[in-house]
Amino acid sequence: MSVQIIALFTLREALRRRVVLAAAVLTFGYLVLYGVGVWFGYRDLQNNAGGPPGLTEAVVSLMLVGGLWSLNFIASMLAVFLSVGALSGEVDQGTLHAIAARPVRRSEIVLGKFVGFVLMLAVFIGVSAAAMILTVAVITGEVVGASWSAPFLMLLASTLLIGLALAGSSRLSPLPNGVIVFTLFATALIGGVIEQIGDVLESAVMFNIGIGTSLVVPTRAIWDLASAQLATGGFAGELSAGPFGASNPPSGWMLLIAGLHLALTLGYAVRTFGRRDF
Amino acid sequence: MSLTVAHGEIFGFLGPNGAGKSTIVKLILGLTYPSAGAIEVLGQPAGSLAARAEVGFLPETFRFHEWLTASELLHFHARLARVPAEGRVERIRELLELVGLGDRVNDRISTYSKGMMQRVGLAQALVGSPRLVILDEPTSALDPIGRRDVRDRIRELGQQGVTVFLNSHLLSEVEQVCDRVAIIDHGVVVAEGRLNELLSAQEIEIRAGPGAAAAAREALGEAAVRALNGRLRVRVADDDQTAMLVRRIVEAGAPVYDVRQVGDSLEELFVRVAEGGDV
Repeated sequence: MSVQIIALFTLREALRRRVVLAAAVLTFGYLVLYGVGVWFGYRDLQNNAGGPPGLTEAVVSLMLVGGLWSLNFIASMLAVFLSVGALSGEVDQGTLHAIAARPVRRSEIVLGKFVGFVLMLAVFIGVSAAAMILTVAVITGEVVGASWSAPFLMLLASTLLIGLALAGSSRLSPLPNGVIVFTLFATALIGGVIEQIGDVLESAVMFNIGIGTSLVVPTRAIWDLASAQLATGGFAGELSAGPFGASNPPSGWMLLIAGLHLALTLGYAVRTFGRRDF
Repeated sequence: MSLTVAHGEIFGFLGPNGAGKSTIVKLILGLTYPSAGAIEVLGQPAGSLAARAEVGFLPETFRFHEWLTASELLHFHARLARVPAEGRVERIRELLELVGLGDRVNDRISTYSKGMMQRVGLAQALVGSPRLVILDEPTSALDPIGRRDVRDRIRELGQQGVTVFLNSHLLSEVEQVCDRVAIIDHGVVVAEGRLNELLSAQEIEIRAGPGAAAAAREALGEAAVRALNGRLRVRVADDDQTAMLVRRIVEAGAPVYDVRQVGDSLEELFVRVAEGGDV
């Protein structure tokens, strides 16, 4: 009951915060720009017909993967910005004192905020990704296979970041927590690139470093799962390598690891916040 | 520290900065956990959900989410405090009228002055119809009229049988509304009791020649006498003791120029206790 009250409160707060407004406005501008780009790109592709079969399909899927990768990045930023000061920041400001003095468990505060932020990200990712997938479908007439699954995986990646940021926020003030969460997020990104290079160079060490970062922060690996679902056409393998995807997509086990990761970070947040003195 | 507050009492909790007042308040509310000892609130362990369900709290910082309107803040707290949905709207409107914010209910708290934030904080503390209200410096940001309003609210709560735990630096305020007070310092209760009992001791101020201080100390003991601006401040139990003291000073050969009774206020009591004297 209290979780629900605090989740709705958190969602309303997020909707009224400038960071969300800024993200929404910028994303809208980005979507417009993206639509124009896809329209011209697709026209040129049609004009230069005669490539190998499956090329059009592959390019369209790459355009969608690239677009969704950007949305995923914005969503990740939003997830971190929203939740990085959610607990300790509010304790420091004193805004949580009156709330925590109510008949509410500390765990309900943590979980309520978590659910609120996830709902916020679900709205953001749902609307923007649907708009992007529809834009591509309308302009190109191509429906990229399994594109419905990408937003869910993107939401999962953002959810993992929210869990991580809340775990940090149960103990650290917003600034150090933000630095740590961003560093881990960047490490996962770089780890993915190292993994790809390792794959190409057949370097087991580099490959394992990449895998290792995915275990610590699985956000990048979850995105790789999404992009692998989207890659279609004969050139999918070649085209999806690079910053937007993985040449060697992770297995479904990554979902289990993501689940464990979330359970660990949330468990830590609940436990630490439950014991902290205001 | 051992302290008991009776049901329906308006209890003043005093102490110098750093004495541990806010820590005690946080312990009572379960915002901070004790390293040792136990606190009971309305028969329940402090910090338990059952105890917190009966308590209203105005934090010292009175910082609330500024993106909310006063009405939204109260609705949020009413839901957390499990106020039944039926009659909630009316209850909140009444409370906001009561604290003088009736015309600003739909304005965002970010547009409020500090005094208005403290008023909305008081309404927030009362929204769950608590049996115990804990007010941590409830008038620090208010003007004299606002202070008088809050004093009136506190008296009304007392009349309704609500227990009020008032943590305040404003001694005149405590003096005006509290039935009983405790003064703490360094985490220890140094004075506790009904106000009229604590303030019953009198003090006199004597202007006299050399030798008077020694005579007074000899007559009433070291602790009762202190020098202040070239005069003596002496605590006496009654008028007979005053007469005896003057006689002893004169007998000691010191001329007495002036003897004046100074009323013992809570402030004097507080300063004396905080500086390490006894009650």
